[in-house]
Amino acid sequence: MTAYDPCAHCEEVMQPFMDRVLTDDERAQAEAHLDECNYCRKRYRFEENLRVFVRHAVASEPMPVELKQKLAALRTPLQ
Amino acid sequence: MSETTREPDARQIATEARDRVRFEEEALALSDQVYRVARHLVGSREEAEDLMQETYARAFRSWRSFQPGTNLRAWLLRILTNLNIDRGRRQQRSPDMQPLEEGDYFLYNKLEASGDGDTDEDRVVERLSQNDVVSALSDVPHDFRDVVVLVDIGDFSYADAAQILDIPIGTVMSRLHRGRRILKKSMADQAVGGEVA
Repeated sequence: MTAYDPCAHCEEVMQPFMDRVLTDDERAQAEAHLDECNYCRKRYRFEENLRVFVRHAVASEPMPVELKQKLAALRTPLQ
Repeated sequence: MSETTREPDARQIATEARDRVRFEEEALALSDQVYRVARHLVGSREEAEDLMQETYARAFRSWRSFQPGTNLRAWLLRILTNLNIDRGRRQQRSPDMQPLEEGDYFLYNKLEASGDGDTDEDRVVERLSQNDVVSALSDVPHDFRDVVVLVDIGDFSYADAAQILDIPIGTVMSRLHRGRRILKKSMADQAVGGEVA
């Protein structure tokens, strides 16, 4: 048996917390811990920034215009 | 008499043509979003472009099997992931051969430790580059990457991702959990292995 470590628990539920899939009780427990723990709060803020950053980084390559034209050309011709 | 029997047919044909054109327009309007996901499900831009064309060709052929009112973007991506699997592009590794991931705080801890004393946690993420993210994502094994791409980049719910990939929702959750950690480990390797501000 290892002792209960609230920061290790917070780390474990961080992703489901951000995905909003925790139960109300679990969520309240995580929020209470984040309110009082600077260590975890820093990491939570980082995780939030990271999600935005990742989404941005991978979305910056737009679909080539020629591909869009090729897809449009696949439509059934109107009679 | 012949007029009355022919007329409904003509109307039916016109309705069908209108529905089909509407379907095609809606599908094309989603192509940017579908491409964004497709681009990161496969290894190269060329593969993504091929796969997009196959997907749209099949979607336009089988448009009648789409149920109006359901999620068209998910329907298109279901076709796309099936085609991707059919083409044998994926080489699955068994789960026990996957790299070991670190905990959720691993990336932050690495980046923080590598900093030059700047302790503003809102700026830690800036120590990553766009290239770090893109190449780290391509290093994540397929099974895990599919789920991460659909949920974190494609904004699909767990349920939609489960339907698109034809796997149970519990599997989506466990692969997402591990996939994000593998991605973060990989980003840490990219960023801290190279130059870090």
